[in-house]
Amino acid sequence: MTKPGPGTTDGAELAAGSEVDTADRGTGTGEAGTDLAVHLDGITKRFPGVVANDDVDLRVERGSVHALLGENGAGKTTLMNVLYGLYEPEAGRVVVDGTEHGFGSPQDAIDAGIGMIHQHFMLVDSMTVAENIALGNEPTKWFGMAVDREQIAREIDDLCDRYGFDVDPEATVEDLSVGVQQRVEILKALFRGTDVLILDEPTAVLTPQEVEDLYDVLDELTAQGKTVIFITHKLEEATHAADAITILRDGESVGTVAPERTDREDLAERMVGREVLLEVDADPVTTGKVVLSTRNVAVEDARGVDVVSGIDLDVRAGEIVGIAGVDGNGQAELIEAITGLRTPDAGTIAYEGTDITDWSRRRRIDAGMSYIPEDRHERGLVMPFDLVENSILGSQRSPEFAADGRIDWTAVRDYTDDLIDTYDVRPPDADADASSFSGGNQQKFIVGREFERDPSLVIATYPTRGVDIGSTEFIHDRLLELRREGVAIVLVSSKLDEVQALSDRLAVMYEGEFIDVTDPDAITEEELGLLMAGQQVDETGKGASDAGTVGTNGGESR
Amino acid sequence: MERIAISVAALFAAVLVGGAFVFVSGGVASCRSGLDIAGVTFCYNPMQVFYELFLGALGNPLQGGWSPTNLSLAKTLQQTTLLIFAGLSVAVAFRAGLLNIGTQGQLVIGGFVTAITVVFAEPIVPGGLVGMLVLIPLGVLAGAIGGGLYGAIPGALKAYADANEVITTIMLNFVAVGITSTLLSWQFQDNNSTTAQTAPVPEYAEVPTIPYIGFDERVDFSLLALGFAVVLMLGIAWLFARTSFGYELRTSGIQPAAAAYGGVDGKRMTVATMSLSGALGGIAGAFWVLMVHGRWLKNVPSIGFDGIAVSVLAGSNPLGVGASAFLFGMLDSGESAIGSTTNVPPDLVGILSGLIILFVAMPEFFRMIGTRYVDVRSPEPARADGGSVPDDDNEATDESGGEDGG
Repeated sequence: MTKPGPGTTDGAELAAGSEVDTADRGTGTGEAGTDLAVHLDGITKRFPGVVANDDVDLRVERGSVHALLGENGAGKTTLMNVLYGLYEPEAGRVVVDGTEHGFGSPQDAIDAGIGMIHQHFMLVDSMTVAENIALGNEPTKWFGMAVDREQIAREIDDLCDRYGFDVDPEATVEDLSVGVQQRVEILKALFRGTDVLILDEPTAVLTPQEVEDLYDVLDELTAQGKTVIFITHKLEEATHAADAITILRDGESVGTVAPERTDREDLAERMVGREVLLEVDADPVTTGKVVLSTRNVAVEDARGVDVVSGIDLDVRAGEIVGIAGVDGNGQAELIEAITGLRTPDAGTIAYEGTDITDWSRRRRIDAGMSYIPEDRHERGLVMPFDLVENSILGSQRSPEFAADGRIDWTAVRDYTDDLIDTYDVRPPDADADASSFSGGNQQKFIVGREFERDPSLVIATYPTRGVDIGSTEFIHDRLLELRREGVAIVLVSSKLDEVQALSDRLAVMYEGEFIDVTDPDAITEEELGLLMAGQQVDETGKGASDAGTVGTNGGESR
Repeated sequence: MERIAISVAALFAAVLVGGAFVFVSGGVASCRSGLDIAGVTFCYNPMQVFYELFLGALGNPLQGGWSPTNLSLAKTLQQTTLLIFAGLSVAVAFRAGLLNIGTQGQLVIGGFVTAITVVFAEPIVPGGLVGMLVLIPLGVLAGAIGGGLYGAIPGALKAYADANEVITTIMLNFVAVGITSTLLSWQFQDNNSTTAQTAPVPEYAEVPTIPYIGFDERVDFSLLALGFAVVLMLGIAWLFARTSFGYELRTSGIQPAAAAYGGVDGKRMTVATMSLSGALGGIAGAFWVLMVHGRWLKNVPSIGFDGIAVSVLAGSNPLGVGASAFLFGMLDSGESAIGSTTNVPPDLVGILSGLIILFVAMPEFFRMIGTRYVDVRSPEPARADGGSVPDDDNEATDESGGEDGG
C-alpha cells in the first residue's frame, strides 16, 4: 500500500514545522524545485475568537496521497476549505501547480482542478449515477438544447475503465451502498477534470471492507497521476494509505512525516501533545444480576417492514455488551425501543427484573437509564440552549435540580462547571450555545452528562463518534470505570476496534437481527467485518462465544 | 438583544414605508388643499398623520390640563390590557412550537362562559364588596377554564390525530362564533334588548377602578386589570425561565426530538400548552366582558387576531409582549383619532400594523443592513504571538476584512 515514494516534504524533522515555514516564505512563486501539486504557504485563518489556522504550511507532491492528521478542531477542514475556495485566508498563499491563486469561490478552485468530497455526500438520491455525475457540467448537443446523454455515458465508461471502478451509471443513487456512493462522488470530481482530490474523513461512513476498497481506489488514482489529500483523525488510515502525513494541532502544523519513519504512538503523541495510551485495559470483572433483558423484540418502520426482529439480549451489571454493525441495520430502532423513545411492536423489555415495555421515557430516565444518543444535534443537545440549560436535559425534573418543579439554576450552573471541568469541554464556557462547540466537545459534554447521572444502565451509541483520540481514551476509561462500579453497559458502535476492545460480549447486528453473539477476543477484525456485511463465519469463529463471562441466551436468532 | 434591535428597526421601517404610503395615497384622493408636485395634489401629510396618531393614543401633553389619566391614554391602556392577555396566549403556544391562530375563538368562548357564569352566580352571592371579591375571580376563572378547554381541543387533535393546529384553530374560531350565538339565542339572550348580547353582569362584578387615580370615566379601563395583566406576564416569564415545565415547553418548541430524549411526553405537552394558551385567551375574553362591556356581546372585536401581531413583534417573549401590546394599543386608539381629526382613511393605520409584521418577519433583511454598518468581528486579530506577521500580510488582512464587511 505505502509506496516507497517521496519520503517527506519538509524534511522529516517535524517539530520545526512552523520555523521552516517562515524561512520558506518569500521565495516567490516559481520556487517548486520538486513537483508540488499544491503548496499552501503560511495560511492563517481566523474566526471570531479563534485562530483556526495559524501560519500553516502544506506541500503536497504530485501523484501522492497526503494525509492531514489531527484531532477535532485542529483546523484540518478549515485548511482544506481554504484550498477549496470556501474560506478566504487572512494571510498566506495558495499555490496550485506553481501558480498562485486567490480562490473566491469553490468554482474557481474547481476550475483550477481541485475537487473536494465532503463527509456528507452531495448527491441527489433519486437521480441516477450518470445524472449525478454530470449535474452542473452536462455536455450538450443541438446547440445547447439538449443534454448529450451518450457522451456522458461514454465518458463515465472511460473513467470507470481507467480507474477500475465498478459502478452502474444507470443505477439510482439511493439504492447504492455508502461505499459505492462515495465512488460516485469521486467519479463526479474526476468528470470535472479534477487533478487534486480532497477527501474529508472519507472512511467515517464505511465498513472495513469498503475502507480497503477505498485504499485501492486511492492507489489507482495516484498511479494515474492524480493527487489526493485526505483528512482524518485515525492513525491507522494515515500510516496505511498515505505517502506523507502532515499533522495539525490547535491550528498549527506540527510537521510532516513519512509514514515509514514513524509509528502510531509517535503520531498520537504529536497529535495530542502528550503521551497517549492506545490500548484499553479491560480486566475481567465479575458480573452481577441481569439489568436489561429483552425478549423477542421487534420494531416495524413506517411502511410496516420489520427493521428489528426477534432480538433477545441480556446485559448484566458490570459488563459491556457491544453491538456492532453497519449503520442502518436496526441498531437505532432497537436502542430507541430500549430507551423508551419508541414502542416495540412485539416482545418485552425488562429492567432490573421489572417489565418496562410500557414505561415512558421519563420513568426510564428516573429509574437510572442513561443514554448517549446517536444524533447529538437532534437529540443529545438543544442547539440554541447554552451548556447550563443543556446540562439538565433529561434531569429537568430530578429532585436534585428541580425540587417542586422550580429549577435551581445556581446548582445547575455549578454542576455544569464541574462537567465542563471533568470532561475537558473546550472552550470551558458554560454560557456559550451548544451549537458553538465543535462536534467532539459536544460529544464530551453529552457523555459527561449521561455518565454523571449515576446510572445503573448506560446505553452508549457511538460514544466516540467524531471525538479525537485524547478524548476517546478518556471516554473509554470512564466506560470501564463505570463497568467496574457495576453498571450494565450497552455499547453500539461501528468502530470495530472500539467494540472489540471494550466489550465483554459482542453481538453483530445485520438487517434487524443478531446474526452472531461472540467473545470479542475470539474473532478477528476481518471476520467481524464479514459478519457485519451479513456473511456467516464458519463455526470455529463463534464456538467460544458463550463460554466466557456470560451465560444465558446468546440471542442467536437464526 | 438582536431580537429587540430587529423589532425596533422593523417599527421604524414600517413608519417610514407607511408614511410613504400615506403620502402617495394622498395623490389619488381628492381634496381642496394639499401639496402640489408636478401637477398632482398630494392631500395627506404623513407627519400630521403620525402626529394625530400619537395625540389620539396618548393625549396632548403640551396642552394645558393634560394628565396621564386622560381619555386617550385610558383607551390605549384598555386595549393594551386585553392585548397583553391575547399576546401571551399566542406567545406561549409559539414558544412550544405551536401556532395558535385560535386565540380569538378561545376569547369568544372564554368571555361567554365568564358572562353567563357571573350572571347565574349573581343571585346566590351576596352583593357589594363580597360579591365583587367572589364574582370577579370566579368570572376570570370561568373564562380561563372555558378558553382552556376550548384550546385543549386543537391540542388533542394535534397530539392524537395528527391534525395541523393552524387549520384546526382557524376553523374552531368559526365554530366558537356559531356555538356562542346558538347558545345565546337558545337561553342567554338579554330579554330587555334587541341587540345580540347576554344580560349584564351586576355593577359590582365589573373590574373596579382604583379610587383617586381616576382615569377618564368615559372609558372602561381599570388599572387593576392592567396590573393583573402585568403580573400574569411576569408569571409567564418566570414559568419559562425558572420551572421544569417551562424548560420542557421551550425545549419542545426548539427541538422536539431533544425534548422526547429528555423525557418529555410530546403529546401531553402539546395538549398542556394549548390548554394554557387557550386559558390566556379565555382570560382576555373575561376581561373584555368584566372590564369593558359588563356583558358579552355577539360582536366581538378581533383582539385575538391582534394578539398574533403582538406576539410576533415581541418575538414570543413574554416581557416583550407588554411593550408590543402597548404599541398596538396606541395604534388602535390612535386609529379612531385619525378618522375624526384628519380626512385620511383610518384604514391606513391597519396598513401600518401590517407593515410592522411584514418587517418583523424578515429579520435577515435587518441583519444584512446591520452587518453592513456595524462591525461584528473583533478588529484586532486574535493572535497571541503577534509580531512576526510581515507588513504585506497585515494589509491583506485589512483588505479582506473590509471586503467581508461589504
